[in-house]
Parts: sequence; structure tokens; C-alpha cells
Amino acid sequence: MDWFSYDINRYTSPRMVAIPLAIFVLSLIVIGMTYSSTGLPIKPGMDFTGGTAVTIATNDSEASIQNYFAGFPLEPITRDVTSTLYLLKFTTMSADQNQQLIDKINARYPDASVDYIDETFGQTLQGQALIALLFSFIGMAAVVFIAFRTFIPSIAVVSCAFIDMVGTAAGMTLLGIPLTLPTTAALLMLIGYSVDSDILLTMRVLKRQGKLEDKLAGAFRTGMIMTSTTLAAVLSLWIVSSLAQIEIIKYMAAVLFVGLLLDIMNTWITNAALLKWYVERKGS
Amino acid sequence: MAKPKKKKEAEKQAAEKKPEPVKGEVLREILRDWRVLLLIILVVLSLASIFPHVENSKVTTALQFGLDLQGGSWLQMSFGSEVVGFTSQRAAEDLADALNKRLDAEVSLVGPGQLEIRKPFPRDELEQAFSAENATLTTYEPGVSRATADDIKRILEQKINTLGTKDARVNLLTPVGTNVVRYVRVELAGVDINTAKSIVGKQGLFEIRIRTVGNETEHVIFGNAITSVGNPQQDPTRMSWGVPFTLSEEGAAAFREAANKNGAVTSPEAHPISMLLDNITVFSAPLAPELAKELLTQSVQRLSASTGSGTIGMNQAQNLEIHLRAGALPVDVQVANFGQVSAPLGEYFKLMCFIAGSLALLTVGLVIYIRYREPAIVFPMVATNFAEVIILLGIARFIQQLDLASLAALIAVVGTGIDQLVVITDEVLHEGRVPSPALYQKRLSRALAIIMVAAGTVIFAMLPLALMDLSTLRGFAIITILGVLIGVFITRPAYGKIIMVILSKKN
Repeated sequence: MDWFSYDINRYTSPRMVAIPLAIFVLSLIVIGMTYSSTGLPIKPGMDFTGGTAVTIATNDSEASIQNYFAGFPLEPITRDVTSTLYLLKFTTMSADQNQQLIDKINARYPDASVDYIDETFGQTLQGQALIALLFSFIGMAAVVFIAFRTFIPSIAVVSCAFIDMVGTAAGMTLLGIPLTLPTTAALLMLIGYSVDSDILLTMRVLKRQGKLEDKLAGAFRTGMIMTSTTLAAVLSLWIVSSLAQIEIIKYMAAVLFVGLLLDIMNTWITNAALLKWYVERKGS
Repeated sequence: MAKPKKKKEAEKQAAEKKPEPVKGEVLREILRDWRVLLLIILVVLSLASIFPHVENSKVTTALQFGLDLQGGSWLQMSFGSEVVGFTSQRAAEDLADALNKRLDAEVSLVGPGQLEIRKPFPRDELEQAFSAENATLTTYEPGVSRATADDIKRILEQKINTLGTKDARVNLLTPVGTNVVRYVRVELAGVDINTAKSIVGKQGLFEIRIRTVGNETEHVIFGNAITSVGNPQQDPTRMSWGVPFTLSEEGAAAFREAANKNGAVTSPEAHPISMLLDNITVFSAPLAPELAKELLTQSVQRLSASTGSGTIGMNQAQNLEIHLRAGALPVDVQVANFGQVSAPLGEYFKLMCFIAGSLALLTVGLVIYIRYREPAIVFPMVATNFAEVIILLGIARFIQQLDLASLAALIAVVGTGIDQLVVITDEVLHEGRVPSPALYQKRLSRALAIIMVAAGTVIFAMLPLALMDLSTLRGFAIITILGVLIGVFITRPAYGKIIMVILSKKN
């Protein structure tokens, strides 16, 4: 990818840093608003609130399905554009009504897939997911600090990962992606992978000889190709799963995609600026 | 590690002396490296373990797929029970007895200072009960002790086994850092959720009734009068299937009395005997003539319920056996999560994942090609990446069921695995073409250092998910971690060697 070059003095100037900063502040506002309405930084999905998700492959019309499940707490139906797959979501209901629902589903659509989560179980899962996110972040930060053993470069990497996460959380809200077990897993993966390019950048700048500008430009070349291969894989995953209406994978891919895009900005502007400042201060 | 390194140095020097290398020589030199050999051996072994073959004109492998990809149903249940820690001056058995009476619940000592209470109570209610008995409640966790959980697992497995489902699992789920089992998860391949629920979901109240007058029936005995249940058997003369079972002495006496009182012994057809599980009739048939005759004079303990011939009769016998056992679990269970995926939908998801994976590999290859425009670099990169996936699948076949989430992890491994190969290539190629062997080694180890740190962050970020037994996303974390480990220890060092030989020969 030689058709655009990376000019450190242009990209890490204070004016450029204003962009990620503004996005960070906006993300915090989005998260704050979600938090005040749901009690979580991202709107929780069915895995955490409880409910029944149903996937049906049928030629029936949407109205006919609506009609068949009249009386059950059915949320708006999502439908696949290319095939005949419907995704139905029901909010929590009594055990009896739930059993009636299952019987009704199996009577007309024996090939349907069903996933029911009890409300209390959902809350337990939610607690577990938040703990996992917390420990995952701590684990990542520990590895970074042990690897670099210098405070400012390490904290720069960890803060960039944090800013990535906050931005991704806001992005999920804006794109209407709920926090579910799969998207939690995607966020965990993002914690691990978003620091890859930051590590490359820091290693190159701190451990190599040479002019700072050259080292940053070299790191940028390598880092961009790294992120673009991952983006390419994630994008193909997203395209196929969107067409095939595999919701789990579609959401996971979308979360990874948003997070990695934000990571490009945060690595090559925010982290690079912090690192440049650190190296120049140490040098003078 | 020391020996191969020396060998490699020698190889490198030998390679440098040769002025005009030919293609075959490059290949031979690459193949002589132990890391490359290890990679090849592992790929071959993995392919053998995955064992792709054609069966009934469909491609089949030895890979284990999760329920969401092969069709089936799952049921996860929590227990109406809790395990508590306590401190008290009283003897533990004495306290358990006292609590048993006070709470009207089965209370048993399951460890030093640990009681299992087989009835759901909120924490504050138990705290009050404990202080009334001069004890202090120190810990409170919903769930059952390991021993009770193992019992439950055995009962469930027995119920499932009698059904003859070939692919079934019963897993106990314990949160990290405790010994209290919180959930039991049952997974049944090829069975819909209603069937699964009817097999495992509830404790049955089993009853035998007899028809009296018209459609009226009368209670004869409950399930507790049944002392043992045999396996379904086929009568050799009549070819019909039946389930043998034994009644207690009192049960047999009650059975005989009911049969005599209602006249079933003289006119069996008019007074059929029915078996009910939770007030639903699961079996109904008149007394066999021989049995009717025998019951006139004496009570009979060994009976058999006949379900008819053929496959239908056999299936019914198998179900009846489960019902007769009534499969009572020691504690009440509550369904936390259940679901089903049909086999065609699973098949469709599998195909789509395969397409997504292939597409990912292709696009990643394309991106790499746009960057390097050099087949001699791009081909080994993509091949190494592909080898990584094969080895990952080969190992995963033994330790992890592949579900949708773990396939997503696998595809992410494709995208991120190649990242690290880019780091190696760029580090080695830094400023000009081919470095001297010493410089090459230095650069390779610097690249590997970056890779190690990056791998470390991913592993530690995924660790909570891999350890948390509560989550169904364990597979995702395990595949990711495994993929990173294979990359760091096997494929990347081998790639480092391959790319070095190729680059040094090119100049």
C-alpha cells in the first residue's frame, strides 16, 4: 500500500489529535445516554434480558407469521433479503405461555431453530460477561506493562485500547448491535487484537535505531497491512453472514470491524502522538 | 534446541557458498529445516485426524460440530438448592438435623463447614434460620455439591441412554473459584426440544390406575412401589416388545387387590390398567390372560408392560422404560436456557461458514498480493496461513466441538495469523533486500518479540472466557487461544525460515 504516505508531523500534530478526542467525547456521551436508559453501556440483547429467539425458513408471508403468533410478545420481525429465513424475537413470558409457543412453532415449523433464555439466567450471564470484560482488559494491560516495562509507552497502548473499546461500544449503539454473548466475545477479542498494531508501533519506535520519522513511517506501513488483512477477513465474514442471516456471526464481525477501524485512528494518531512526545521529551 | 540451531547455521553457510541456486535446491533446503518439517508433519497428521472422506455422496469429516451446526437441542437447568458455609459451636450433624426440621428441607453435610439445602431459600431467610440455631451463615451459593451433581448427571445420562441417542452430553457447569455446581446442561443431537424436555426436563409422578366403571379410573399404586425396571425385551414367540419391572411386596398386594376388586381378573378387556406420568397416560393395556389367572390366587411382583411389535413397539418400550424409572432427580430443577436447531438449518450454517472462511482466506491473500506483488512471498504466506487453519482443526477435533462462534474465531485466526507473517516479512525486508545471516537472525527475533507480546495480549484477553464455565462461548476462546499458540510456536518460526531461504536465493 504505497499510494499514501504517513507524515508523522502532519498526523500527530495537536490539531489531528483533536479528531480522536472529539470522537472519544462523543462516544462517552452515547454510552452515557445508553447507560441512563438501560443501566448498561451497550443495550443488552436477548442473552442478557431473557426471551425467546426463533429462526424459521419458510415461504409464508410476514403477515401470515405475525398472525400465527398473535397473542405472543413478538418483537418486529427481521427478514433476510436473499433467502426465506425469518428471525423472530419474543420478550419474556410465563413458562406456560412459553411452552405453548414452542408447541405452536413445532406444529407449523418443525425445522425452526429456537433459543430460550430465562430472565434470571440472563442476568447471571450479564454479570459474568462484565467480569470477563474487566479481567480481559486487566490481563491485556498486564502483558503490555510487563513487555515494555516503561510507564508512558505502556499506558499509551492501554489507553488506546480503552478508547477503542469506548468507541466500539458507542458504535454498537449507533448501529443497533446489542450486547449479547457473541458480541461480548467479539469485544474480548478486540481487546486482544486492537493492541497488536500499538505493540508493533511501540516496539519499532523504542527498540530500533534510526530517525523517529522513518521508524514511524515503517511501522505504519506494516501496521496498516496488518489491520487491512484482518479487516478483509472480518469483512468477508460480515458479508457472508449478513447474506445468510447468521445473526451471531454478523454481529461479531460488525463489532470487530468497527473496533479495528477505530483502532487505525487511535494507533496512528493518538498513540503515535503520545509516543512521539515521550521520545522527544526523553531525547531533549 | 541447541543442536538444530547449529545445524541451521551450517545450512545457512552452505547455502551462501553456492552462487547459482536452482529452484529444486531452494525447496530442498527449506525442507531440511526441522521447523518446516515439524509444520509439514503436523499438517499431514491433522489432515489424517480430520479425515475428510466421501460418504453417501457427501463430504464428511471427523470434526465434531456443535448442536447449532448439526441439529439437535439443548437444555440448561439450575437447581432449587443451595450450598452454604457456616460456623457454629454445635456439632455439624446436630445442626443439619435441627435445620432440617426448621426449614422443612433436606439438609446434609457436604464438606467441612458446608451444608447443602435442597430447597430454594433466599440468603436472608437462611441467615435468620442459622442464627436461630446458634450458627452463623458465612457463604451462600445457589447450586448443589459435587456429589449431588454427579448423581444428577448419572440419572440424566441413564434417561438419555435408554433412548439410544447416539450423540448426547450431560455437562455440569461450575463457576470459577467454587466447588458448587450451578447448572447442568444436556445436549442431544438430532432431537427436538419438546422430546428433549420430556426426557430430562421434569421429575415424573408415576402412577398406575385401573378402569372401574365406564371411563372412571381408580388409583392402584405410585411409582415408589416399583423397585426395579429392566431393559425393553422382545417376546420371542409373540415378537412384541415389553418392559419388565418389579413391584414391592406391598405394591404387588395392592395391585392384586385392585385387579380382583374391579373384576379385571375375570374380564381384563373391560378394566385395562393404565400407567400415568404426571397425569398423562403413557401406557394402557388390559391384563394378559395368564397374568389375570395368576392374580386370582396370588400376588405377582414381577410384571411386564407390553407395547407391541415392530419399531413403534420398540420405541414405545424404550420411552416407557424411562417413564417407569420416573427418573426422579434429588433436587428440583428450573430451566435456565433451552433451544433447538434443525439439521437442515445447521447444515446451511455449516456451508455458509465454509464459504465465509474460504472467502476470508482469498481476500486476505488478495490484500497481501496487492501489498507485496511478489508470488514468491505471497504464496508461502497464504500457504502458511492455510497450514495454521488445518493444524488448528486437527487439534480442535480432539478437544472442542465446533459451533458457530468457534468457527468465527477460526476465521478471525485467518485474518490475524497473517498479520504476524507480515510483521516477520517487513522486519526482515527492512531497508533493502537480504540481510546477512546474523542480521537476519537479529531481525527475526525482533519480529518474534513483537509477535510474542501481541500473542500474549490475545491469550490473556481470552482467558476469562476460556475459564468461565458458565458461558457457552468457551469454544470461541479456546479456538482463538489455540490458534495463537499454534501460530507462535509452529507456523511462524517455520515461515521465518522459509522466507529467509526464498529471499536469499532471489538476490
